[in-house]
Amino acid sequence: MTKAERRELQERQRAAKAAKTAAGPAAGTPTVNVKGGGGGKLAQPSTPASPAPKKGGTSQGAAQAKALAAAVVTGPAKGAKDAKAAAGVGEDIVGSRGLRIFSHFALQKTAGHVAKGDVHPAIVRLGLMFAEFKVCGANARCIATLSVFKQVIQDYVTPQHNTLSRHLNTHLSVQISHLVSARPMSVTMGNAIRQLKLEISGSDIDLPEQDAKDELCHKIDNYIRDRIIIADQVIQETAMKKIHDGDVVLTYARSSVVEQVLLEAWSEGTQFSVYVVDSRPMLEGKRLLSVLAAASIPCTYLLLPALGSVITEISTVFVGAHSIHSNGAVYSRAGTALVAMMAKQHSVPVVVCCETYKFSEGVQLDSFTKNELAPLGDRFSSFPLTRPRESLTLQNRPNLEILNPLYDLTPPSSITAVVTEVGVIPPDSISSIPLALGRQMI
Amino acid sequence: MAPELYNPASQRLVEALAAKLRRRQVLGSRETALETALVLRQVVSKARFTNIHQLVEIIRDVGRKLVEAQPKEHTVGNTVRKLLHHVREEYNNASKGTVASSSNVFSISKFVLQGQPRKQVTTQKTESALVLREDDPDDPDSFARTLKPVLMEAIQVILDELETVYENIARSAKDHIHSDEIILTVGKSHTVETYLISAAHYHNFTVIVAESGPTYGGHDMARSLSAAGISTFLVPDSSIYALMSRVNKVILGAHAVLANGGMYAITGSLLAATAGRAHSTPVVVCAGQFKLTPLWNLYHEYGALDFADPSSVLGFEDGDLVDTVDVVNPYYDYVRPDLVDVYVTNDGDHPPPSIYRLIKESYDDEDNEL
Repeated sequence: MTKAERRELQERQRAAKAAKTAAGPAAGTPTVNVKGGGGGKLAQPSTPASPAPKKGGTSQGAAQAKALAAAVVTGPAKGAKDAKAAAGVGEDIVGSRGLRIFSHFALQKTAGHVAKGDVHPAIVRLGLMFAEFKVCGANARCIATLSVFKQVIQDYVTPQHNTLSRHLNTHLSVQISHLVSARPMSVTMGNAIRQLKLEISGSDIDLPEQDAKDELCHKIDNYIRDRIIIADQVIQETAMKKIHDGDVVLTYARSSVVEQVLLEAWSEGTQFSVYVVDSRPMLEGKRLLSVLAAASIPCTYLLLPALGSVITEISTVFVGAHSIHSNGAVYSRAGTALVAMMAKQHSVPVVVCCETYKFSEGVQLDSFTKNELAPLGDRFSSFPLTRPRESLTLQNRPNLEILNPLYDLTPPSSITAVVTEVGVIPPDSISSIPLALGRQMI
Repeated sequence: MAPELYNPASQRLVEALAAKLRRRQVLGSRETALETALVLRQVVSKARFTNIHQLVEIIRDVGRKLVEAQPKEHTVGNTVRKLLHHVREEYNNASKGTVASSSNVFSISKFVLQGQPRKQVTTQKTESALVLREDDPDDPDSFARTLKPVLMEAIQVILDELETVYENIARSAKDHIHSDEIILTVGKSHTVETYLISAAHYHNFTVIVAESGPTYGGHDMARSLSAAGISTFLVPDSSIYALMSRVNKVILGAHAVLANGGMYAITGSLLAATAGRAHSTPVVVCAGQFKLTPLWNLYHEYGALDFADPSSVLGFEDGDLVDTVDVVNPYYDYVRPDLVDVYVTNDGDHPPPSIYRLIKESYDDEDNEL
């Protein structure tokens, strides 16, 4: 999405909001059904546009809303139609006719998520980036969230008759629920936020506000450094030793850690080649491929269905993870389970690179209990140009639904080892890691 | 051998089909089988021969040319083998009908050698009337004249089988698929499509179609299934494993079924079959009998050693990558016999270990190498 498009989306959302607030007093109820088309009521020119959007709106937003409200008075149908169009996108997806077993998958709400309450502008921006998959990947999302939270904390002013250690958490909760409304929270974010809240509630009540804020920001920096950046470096060094001269390494999709491992191993002078396996809906492997090819590592690129043909040539499989469960099951990009299964069948070791902060307590039994859907359509999926677009099905039709699960769960039985910053461990021993680290760390 | 035995017009037909096969203008196992049968009909109707050996040699020669043009379209060879089998059968029936009938005596050795005599494919009513005179110096055409009508009939049988193969396979669909089941299939297969649509007349079920990159044939499949009123989900290949825990049955199409019970199928079939096995989900393969191939898979790696155009995987729009990166895009997967539970054919359901018997019945051993 270009800047202009994003801007357009924002405008539309503002228009929807303005229409809602303008319709509010006329209808007499605060929650008016916008798509119900209260056009007739809106047409009353006597209704003043004075009730500016709630405190959530920025000053610019308020001004714009006023202007738009005026526009609504002159052409009420258009505003309502815009809002309807915005809502319609969501409705199309939500109104699933298909099986109910898929209905709980987190659904995309790209249009129609409107900032509720006191949401920091940086959070709104981040929310949009999450929703548009501009920031994608467990590590990237966690780092982005924490960095923005530093900004939020610095801009935060403790209200009167309240203390930072008590009130900041409620303030952050509003920000978090906004982010979650954009895209379900990743396990990494959950772990980091839990840690942050623990730090906030534990911060000294007598500390001057600015000092307390600085200390929190410092702790966030430490968390990013220790649990992600240093951890990645340790994993790189450990995993690198598993690549030997003449090896053929296979990887699926794109993991930032695996990418670093391969680049590092190559720069150390190990001679190996890489098979990059990729699949829709995200086709992230292409990005990894261009990075590896730029480093002049010999690469072979293939789509997931071709895996069966090449698996016999592979020495080791390296994959990343979104999170890892206490039974050793790895929750990762959809397709990882297939790669691990095929590798296991051909006695190829499967190595998962995963920082300890991705550990998630509890056990997930299959990919159904928790999953996300990748967005519909063409935007995130590059189909080959050799195939005409018209011959592809890119939209839901009667009896036909397009379903793009984003994650799948690799059972521990098809994983050989997990490389973490505390060492290489078999998947069965994952549950002991939080205990070894001290439970409050996770 | 002996190209003068069939006339230039037939030769041109054979060359034309060979060129089309080589350029992959005729694709798909049924299309190629049909084209082959049509060419064979022309060749046989124009051919001049005075004894059975010449006739067999003519047909083999055509077969060899076509198979060399495109060794990966196994149904071409199969059609030729089937015709040869029919030719010999007709000839044996006509020349020594009484001997042939006496061979119906069962014995274990015969059972092992020839497979179970399931049914006579050809009708036996006219044969007794034929009097064959091979190599008659007075009337060299007499042999051809008497045998040709029967041969035409045999080719018509082959063509009819190809015409009705989908319907015949689909007959058992309602017994295999039940209400509220979730079926997973990969890519586009006409056989599977007909099978599912026929089952939809009796039951309500859901089909998950993996789109099977880089051809994305699953899109066409999903469209035609949903148009037939079947509740359809189109998913990327990557989610096969994720969804498999809810799938009741995996139904696949085949490109060729091999003598050991394994098969060549569109890429992605191996993933689906293996994932099905990992979840103990039955794997059903729908394949017409014309896909039975008396070959053994010699190349376990690289599927059928047949590669498609890499530009559909990594297009020239990724210009700077194209030079530096290898791209692999195989046409087919080899699926081992232990991953398949049953082959649904137009001649009933068969487990993979009994495929060799069907092959023994359909073709003569001496034709395995054309």
